[in-house]
Amino acid sequence: MSADSDQGRERQESPGLYVESTVIMTTVRVIAPFVLTFGLFIMFHGADTPGGGFQGGVVAGAVVMMLAFAYGIDTTRDWADARLVALLGALGVLTFVAIGLGSIALGGVFLEYPLYPIKKASKYGMELVELGIGAIVASIAVGLFFLLAAGFGHAMDEPEGDES
Amino acid sequence: MSATMIEGVLLAFVLGCALGAAVLKDVLASVIAFAAYSLGVSVIWVVLHAPDVGLTEAAVGAGIMTILFLLALSNTVRPSHDQFFESIRLRTVLGVGAFVVVMAATVPALPEIGSSAPVSTGEVTTYYLEHAYKETQVKNAVTAVLAAYRGFDTLGEAVVVFAAGAVALGVLRREVFA
Repeated sequence: MSADSDQGRERQESPGLYVESTVIMTTVRVIAPFVLTFGLFIMFHGADTPGGGFQGGVVAGAVVMMLAFAYGIDTTRDWADARLVALLGALGVLTFVAIGLGSIALGGVFLEYPLYPIKKASKYGMELVELGIGAIVASIAVGLFFLLAAGFGHAMDEPEGDES
Repeated sequence: MSATMIEGVLLAFVLGCALGAAVLKDVLASVIAFAAYSLGVSVIWVVLHAPDVGLTEAAVGAGIMTILFLLALSNTVRPSHDQFFESIRLRTVLGVGAFVVVMAATVPALPEIGSSAPVSTGEVTTYYLEHAYKETQVKNAVTAVLAAYRGFDTLGEAVVVFAAGAVALGVLRREVFA
């Protein structure tokens, strides 16, 4: 991030775009932990109640969007780097694949949960899989959000396609 | 098929929002109407005892999609219009009307709301409902199908989502993140 992004942040504070509001910042600070907990609950508890990785991942991703709404998109993007976001998704895929192939390594077939030597292996295995899916979905939701938001507030005083 | 009061109000709300999204001239108003439509549909899913689908509709349809639409809109110039509604062409009405008629023709084939008979008469549905808890120890049959019986499909699905997103990030990152 060079001087270019600093310029971007200054531009963003032009009227009508990002407004630093104490009300919004305080509300988001209070609500964000609960939303994240709800997202994780949907992910983890998808085995016994409605929900699962796809829904929980979106809710968890929405936390980052809420932060961006309150603290400014560029600031949030500096905090949650695109590489970090992509890494989260990659970890999700690896978790799913590892659980799937692990049971083959133990002498079974793909995703044969009962082979894992823990209590209620199916249930916990499935919850880990859901967590992996959640990580993928959250990272892609946040990534798309940052991509689409990249030009936010810059379109007014710049010709199109002049972001690089 | 008798509809209760709540179902009737929800259906009217959803139809109104869908019409609004289609005919409103202003794109921002259209997006808002579409978000309201999604929220209404998600409540209908819950009324129809499909909370998993309802949760997805609320989170993705009403939540993320609206944010992405609004962000895309904020990067464009919004022209001001003198008229409130889109001008409607007869050809469009006929095309959409024909589609609605075809879709409505399938409605009588659906089972009664709340009936225990599965929508498809296949043995697979009954098998899942009867064996899901015994074989996978999870109470949510949807999750059992998603992560156990159809686990390989779900892996493919998740990888497709990841690959599409990662490619978009990889290609556009250099362009937009300066």
